[in-house]
Amino acid sequence: MAEPVSLEYKIEGNDYMVAGAASNNIKNTLKMLGIESDVCRRAAVVTYEAEMNLVIHAGGGILKALISEDKIELCTVDEGPGIPDIGKAMTEGYTTASDHAREMGFGAGMGLPNIKRNSDVFEIESTPGVGTQLKSTILFQK
Amino acid sequence: MKINELCKALGADVQTPGDGEREVTQVTAGDLLSFVMGTAPEGAAWVTIQTHLNVAAVAVLKDLPLILIAAGRKATPELKLRCEEEKICIATVGETIYGICGKLAELGLGE
Ligand SMILES: Nc1ncnc2c1ncn2[C@@H]1O[C@H](COP(=O)(O)OP(=O)(O)OP(=O)(O)O)[C@@H](O)[C@H]1O
Ligand SMILES: [Mg+2]
Repeated sequence: MAEPVSLEYKIEGNDYMVAGAASNNIKNTLKMLGIESDVCRRAAVVTYEAEMNLVIHAGGGILKALISEDKIELCTVDEGPGIPDIGKAMTEGYTTASDHAREMGFGAGMGLPNIKRNSDVFEIESTPGVGTQLKSTILFQK
Repeated sequence: MKINELCKALGADVQTPGDGEREVTQVTAGDLLSFVMGTAPEGAAWVTIQTHLNVAAVAVLKDLPLILIAAGRKATPELKLRCEEEKICIATVGETIYGICGKLAELGLGE
């Protein structure tokens, strides 16, 4: 790959019917670029969980993917309510998902742990009342 | 086992046929999307009572070619349409999740 490939999506808040469209688009792009399948799989999990957190918790935001020669960087930025206690939010099972979201199968409290598990480098920063920024890097093996 | 054989053995009501010739050897079960996202093996059949469109999102991203909806529930029209587009088989079975998983185990499918 000569030039890095950069993708950017605006994710609407509370729109459950979009259902991972951006994640799907990123996965298809990675496949098209011939990126190794393990990386595609991990990126799919990361982008889906990050995308749905924007939908469910943040009132929307931006999802970006930067694919370069040796890695993929996945970032989200939102201006949602922020996360007061990141340690708690990272704990498997912790959720503040609404009853409505839970009825559709969200709210296992496993999204952020899934993102971390599938990242080589994972960073999350949040300021209550200002917003949240998340960055996940997946390194290519070959 | 092939997807169409599996549906037949379960007496399932197939709502979208998907790729009936594809082989499935593993099964995952659950109704929490992130749980399935985090734990399902690629290519597995997925047993759930969820019928919402986001079931398709998870199935596509994890490459799960067969969704078995338990307890006689039907896929919502949006879910059905998306599964048609993505060539995912979606089928309704009258039994509970437990009942379906028991049968799948008898048919030789594993975790
Ligand atoms: N972008 C965000 N803005 C505000 N809060 C967030 C954001 N992302 C996560 N959170 C908070 O962190 C908690 C844990 O997130 P996580 O993705 O692990 O679980 P969940 O979204 O609640 O459920 P699941 O992802 O399993 O469907 C959320 O319930 C929410 O309180
Ligand atoms: Mg989540």
